[in-house]
Amino acid sequence: MALEAVVRANASGRLIVVTIAAVPLLFVISGLAIRYAAFASVSEETGFAAYARALCRWDCAWYIGISEQGYERFPIPDHSNVGRWGFFPLYPMLVAAIRSVFPFPTILIATITSIACSYAACLVAWPLLEKNMSAYVLYCAFLLSGPFSFHFTTFLSEPLFVLLTSCVFLALKRSSYLAAGVSSALLSATRLVGVFVVFATVIQMFSEHRRQGGSALSFPHWLLGRPVLLVAVLISPAGLFAYILFLYLTVGDGFAFLHIQRAFGRVAGNPLVFLWDGLSAVPTTGWLPRAPQWSALAAITGLALSAVLAARRQYGAALFCALCIILPLITNLASMVRYVIGLAPLTMMLAVLLSASQLIWLAALVLFLGACYFTTVAWIGGYLALV
Amino acid sequence: MPWSDVPGPYRRAASLGGYALAAVLAGSEIVILALALNPDVNADYRAYYIDRTTTCLNRDAVGSYTLGQTVSFRNDGAKQAAGIKVCGWSGPVADGTHSLGETSRLRVKIPPLSDGLAATLQMAAVIRPPQITQRVVISVNGVRAHAVTLSGKEPRTVSFVIPPAALGKADTLEIAFDYLDGISPTPAASNIYKRSIKLVSFRLDAI
Repeated sequence: MALEAVVRANASGRLIVVTIAAVPLLFVISGLAIRYAAFASVSEETGFAAYARALCRWDCAWYIGISEQGYERFPIPDHSNVGRWGFFPLYPMLVAAIRSVFPFPTILIATITSIACSYAACLVAWPLLEKNMSAYVLYCAFLLSGPFSFHFTTFLSEPLFVLLTSCVFLALKRSSYLAAGVSSALLSATRLVGVFVVFATVIQMFSEHRRQGGSALSFPHWLLGRPVLLVAVLISPAGLFAYILFLYLTVGDGFAFLHIQRAFGRVAGNPLVFLWDGLSAVPTTGWLPRAPQWSALAAITGLALSAVLAARRQYGAALFCALCIILPLITNLASMVRYVIGLAPLTMMLAVLLSASQLIWLAALVLFLGACYFTTVAWIGGYLALV
Repeated sequence: MPWSDVPGPYRRAASLGGYALAAVLAGSEIVILALALNPDVNADYRAYYIDRTTTCLNRDAVGSYTLGQTVSFRNDGAKQAAGIKVCGWSGPVADGTHSLGETSRLRVKIPPLSDGLAATLQMAAVIRPPQITQRVVISVNGVRAHAVTLSGKEPRTVSFVIPPAALGKADTLEIAFDYLDGISPTPAASNIYKRSIKLVSFRLDAI
């Protein structure tokens, strides 16, 4: 009897493992099919290579440049003011490393790597979603077949960013601070805002200290008495510092990634003014919101979901997501939709909320898959809100 | 094996190793931060990217030029004009080369001069009511040479004699255009996107 129960449990466990692996795989395939159909509807070319090239829009070209040629020194060739320094190195380095083994065009390798990263991000999300299958299916659909799935399947930093963010939060959930620190270091080399995840680590440590009965005042002493935790905190921004050192040695300016923003026309201002300007950019014809309105709505939705995370006592994730939205918002609304949907804790929270009722879950799933086609057409066509 | 089961000396060694690693990380990060706060860059880089005191990033561009030759800044003269433009220009397009930002510069190599030089420029103002005029201050090799107020959409010919103090024994001529009334595309836009004039042609004559 006992043996039978063990066998049954093992069989059930294997089925769950297969399901967890199969669900994102299914959405990889459906996403490819939908996006390819969208590509085929606007392009005369055919084939996977042409599809990958067509989806390589906006910042994708910068990442290809970094992956193939590295970073420029100063002065920038061709009398340009705009250098590649604003784009962080980890993902283009990873693609370059893979290309050195598999000699295929960069965009092909990057597309496949991005799909693999997003697939892996789904697997890492399973324990983070508390093994909630409905939320898991919706999350996988969103990343791999959803309305913004092109962001997670072409050469942008989002696929690796989402994967590493999920790894950090999974490590924190398991109180594996060193693993969280190493993942954070990689995250801070992927995008500048990745460095903010260190606050989530410190908050998690603080919570653990409080759970053990420690007072708030004794936290610094508690932390200083644990060298592993100190290493975890100090290693978290190592990716950013490594990039700063690289820029200092090549350009002479460690903060070149910030200073280059001037050439991209980014100016610091009041985030509330940017939000208001975006919201008030009403369309002159038709009812569909304009690009600045979509961007402002994305920022507001992102901040609202951060508040929901905080309300659910996920303070670290809430602070991380809020900072990841507010920092770029200080300069303007550009790329805001992409920045918000690239925040894994927010999209996971959205998946959980949308799984609350079966009807809403089904409607969301259908909406995700249906919208994927139209947003991919808009992305290929260069629709500004999706930049 | 639980951490508590590790023998004391090993635990102490691991702990010391952890502190040493933490110290190395902290030290490295402080050093890197100090380096980043003291950039090792030239004056042009600093002015454009760090201090933001100019919208025109100076470059080592010097165009070849023959006195008396008219250089078109429309599409038809793109090749020659490209060598002369240093910074603060976009285009060219059909109606000329548009200025970008608050300053633009041209730089040409000139032969040894026995006499003075006169410059003749064709320029038009970029207008967006209520801004219907554009004031432009023109300097040559750092010496103020001329000031003009442009109005109307049609190009206007602007001629002036280059002050002898600007020439000296210089073998290059750098002509800077400072715009006092640049128009931003939007209120929140960066000043690098300000529009002021369209340069149509450029000519230097010995006098």
